[in-house]
Order: sequence, then structure tokens, then C-alpha cells
Amino acid sequence: MDTAIGAKKRLPTWLYRSPPDQFGYLLLVPGILLVGFLFVGMLYLARYSVLTFDPVDFVTNSLTLANWHELLTEPAYYGIFFRTVWMAALITVLSVAFAFPYAYLTIRVNSSIVRKLLLVSVFVPFFTGIIVRTYGWLIILGQNGLVNNTLGVFGLGPIRFIGTPLAVMIGLLQIMIPYSIVMLAPAIQTIDESLEKAAMNLGANRIATFRHVILPLALPGIAGASIVVFTITSATFAIPGILGGGQVDLMANLIFKTLFSQANYPLAAVFSLSLVFVTSMIVFVIFTRVGTGTLGIETGGNHD
Amino acid sequence: MTSALNRVLKQTRGLPGEYPLISLFIAFQIVFLMAPTIVILLVSFDGSTSVSFPPDSLSLRWYLELPNQSQYMDAFGRSVIAATICTALGIPIGVLTALGLMRYDIRFKKPLQIYFLLPFTVPLVVSGVILLIIFGNTGVIGNLWTVGLALTIINIPFMIWSVTSRVNALDPELESAAENLGAEEIQRFIHVTIPSILPGVLTGALIMFILGLNEFIVSLIITTPDIVTLPVQLYTAIRSSISPLIAAVASIYIIVAFITVFVADWLVGLDEVLTS
Repeated sequence: MDTAIGAKKRLPTWLYRSPPDQFGYLLLVPGILLVGFLFVGMLYLARYSVLTFDPVDFVTNSLTLANWHELLTEPAYYGIFFRTVWMAALITVLSVAFAFPYAYLTIRVNSSIVRKLLLVSVFVPFFTGIIVRTYGWLIILGQNGLVNNTLGVFGLGPIRFIGTPLAVMIGLLQIMIPYSIVMLAPAIQTIDESLEKAAMNLGANRIATFRHVILPLALPGIAGASIVVFTITSATFAIPGILGGGQVDLMANLIFKTLFSQANYPLAAVFSLSLVFVTSMIVFVIFTRVGTGTLGIETGGNHD
Repeated sequence: MTSALNRVLKQTRGLPGEYPLISLFIAFQIVFLMAPTIVILLVSFDGSTSVSFPPDSLSLRWYLELPNQSQYMDAFGRSVIAATICTALGIPIGVLTALGLMRYDIRFKKPLQIYFLLPFTVPLVVSGVILLIIFGNTGVIGNLWTVGLALTIINIPFMIWSVTSRVNALDPELESAAENLGAEEIQRFIHVTIPSILPGVLTGALIMFILGLNEFIVSLIITTPDIVTLPVQLYTAIRSSISPLIAAVASIYIIVAFITVFVADWLVGLDEVLTS
């Protein structure tokens, strides 16, 4: 070992100084290849979106814009598109509004019992998976479910929840609040509590402190939460599929039907790309205005 | 019991959440978040053949029935295999990527970071369509390993992320101290870098495994009938009936989730997971 180190010391510095940087690129290769599936796949989708659908051969190679035209002119299609966008936007706003006080209390609470309860109530749903939780809502909101049985005791109901936008929104919110809390918490964690105290000592009330101190400092968390919630909600399939009972379909349901009932790959590619377009726009706007927020992979150097 | 409650109440006062309306709002959220889980657990002990709430009678019959239900047991086995492949691929790839991004002075760092967020920014259903096309065109569709690979692709940011947060926390002084004491690159890596990123790797691995076990939409799109995973099997079952048997199957997931939460708490602490 000593001779090796001694030998290394005699070598010019650049020999062992510069390779590490090259080595860094080498480390990234497997990850780049892995994510490359999605990158290459997007190019595939772009190509499919201008191919011609043929009921017999499924896809023929003549180029056309008919699929894009169909999305823009067929009310059933753009209707679902706009429903997806507004529902994703609404769920994003609601879940961040729900998650904010929750995350704040989880970070700041003194009692370890309360904190543990808050943490368990976030992470157990988070790790339970979408199908299981949707099934739970089906039992709660169904025709003979918990809510309707309770209403029945008072001689009310039954109310039909399944197949309504309300049921879909309840299901979506329960999935998205934990995501929002997880994205908000790191940002809230970094807020120095003495800043809040200082603001209050200077005469700011709670609302002013929230608006001028907490909210700006938590912005990276809000940005991260919004991106994650909007992206996941706009692509959600199981909740509109089960709780919406086919009445409240979103883009994912439309894509699935186009793919498997009609085998219309070009049209499914158009729907997919339109979904990617909307989410990328949202991500782009937030990235350029606020930065990657808590979603970003921070670079080591700026941390000190 | 009352004294414990009093203590909790006393401690909750004098907190940022001291406003009763806000406290009530958060209490409501706890119920809202836990409701589906609790309801499924209760229904799974229902002794009758149809789901009703509250359960008519209590029994373990659906749990005893589980081992005979080969379609669920097989699907569960396949889910475990796919999640294992996903974790086994995710650990080395995630660690290498995180170290490459954090420890080396590379160009195009910003575009690369955005590139590695692609699995998050491409909607899952679209990732499913993409992988269906790629796996379909290369003729590998219908193999269970494709599901494992798909799970790795869509969940890799979680691994990169949790390792990155540890690399960030890792004091560069430690590494240079080791260097000053004559440790070579490889020695530094084994004795300094690995131990300090280990908690991040474990958290990331746990998250990837559980997400892999639960993944639904991509699996629905890319699985053929003989390789369906448990969430896909459950989805099909729910659409036809909501028997308490399904609740017993679903309870497996809930129990796994509880175990995961306790393991994560014991490994790194839940607050650590939340804020990293």
C-alpha cells in the first residue's frame, strides 16, 4: 500500500485528478439507459401519432394528421381532456391546502405521540396502494356502504355516490394529500422558527406571518407538491374507473379503451402526447418560476 | 386513559396548531386518510358472504380461505418477484447515479437532473403505453421480468432521491480527512462513503419494493393474463364483486404497509423519511 501511494505521489497530478470526472459520467450510464426507455418511447409515440389507423391492419405507414384532428374536433375526446385538466387542477389546489397545515403541525408539534399519529396516518395510506384504497372507498360510499347505512339509521338516503365526480374527487384527494405532505414537509422543515417569532414580535399577526414569512419560504415545497399531484392526478386510471363507474372517465381511461377496445395505437399515442403536453406545460411553468423545488436533486456544492 | 388524553390535549395546546378549527381540520384529515384502510380491515373479518358495514359476524374464514385461492396467491408471488427485481436493479443504478451527480464535477448537470425526473414527469399511463409499444415491438412482452424492469424505470427517482439526500448530508470533510490519512479512492468508498449513504439506500430500497408491490396502471397495461400481478388481479375482482374475500386479500397490503411504516421508523425514523 505504501509503495502504491508513494508511486502515485511521483506521478503528475493530472493523471489521477482528471479521471474522477470522466468516472462520474461512467457512473451515470446505467441510469441514463434505464430512463432512456421513456425518452426513446416518447419518440415512438410521436411517430405513432401521425400514422394511419386501419381497422384491419391496425397501423399503416402513411402519414396523417387525422388523429390529432380527431382529438380537437370530437367532443367526447376533448371533453374528457378538459375534464382531466380541471379536475387535476382542482385536486392540486385542494390537496396542497389540506396538506399544508398537516405538514406544518407534523414538523412543529412538541408531543411525540401526536407527531407519530400524524406520521403513521400519512405513511400507511402512502404505502397501501391505489387499488386497495379505492376498494375501501367503494365499501364506504357504495349503495349499501358505510355512509348510506348510517344515513339509513336516520331515515335518510340512500345517496348515489358511485359514478359521481364527488366520489372520484374524494378518492383522488385521499391519494394525493399524502403525496403533498411528503413534498411540503422538507420545505417547511427548513423554515427557521425564530423568523416566525421575529415577525410576530414586530407586530405581525398570524395571517401576516403566514403570508409574508411561512408561505414564501415554503414555496419550493408547494412547487414540488403541485407538480407531483398534478402529474399523478391527470394520469389516474383506477379511481375514475371504479369510483366513477365509467361516468367520470379521465384521459387514462380513454387511453386504455382506445388501446385495448379499438387497438387504435395512433389515437392512443395522440391522447398520451396531449397528456404529456399538459403536464410538461405545468412542470415547465413551475420550474421556470419557482425552480424544481423539493422535487429537485440538489447539487452538493450549493448546500453549504 | 383519561390522563393520557389530557396529556395529549395539554401538549397540543401552545402549539402552532393551537387554533381549534385547524386542529379539528387535521383530526378530520387523519380520519379521512385512514378510513379506507380501517374499513377494509374490519370487513375482512366479516363472517358472511356479502360485504356489509358494520360486519354481521366476526370470523377468520376469509383469511383461512386465502391459501386455497390460487389466483390470488400466484398473483401475490408474481408481485413479490417483480418488486424484488425492481429493488435489485434500483439499488445499484440509483446509487451510481446519485454518486455520479453529486460527487463529480460533470457538465450538463441541470439537463441531466431534469432527464432523471422523466419517470415522474411522464404520466404513468403514458409510461405504460410506451413500455407496451417497446416490449411489444421487441417481442419480450409476457415475461415477468419486463414488469420488474418497468417498475424500476418508473420508480428509480425515489432511489436516486433518497441516496442523494444522504450524499448531501455526508460531510465532505470526512472524505478529505480519510484522503489526508492516506486512504485511496476505493478505501474511502468502502469505509466512508458506503456507511454514510447506507440509510438512504435502505429507505430507497424499502420505498421501491413497496411501490413495486403496489404498482397498478403500468402493470395493467403491460401484463398478459398469465403474468398479472396482485393489484391487477384485485382490480379485475373488484369490478365483478366486492366479496369479503377481496377485503382479506387487500388486508395483506395493509398489513405490509403497517410493517413497512414500523420498519422505516426503526431504520431511519419516520420524521427523517418525511423531511429528506
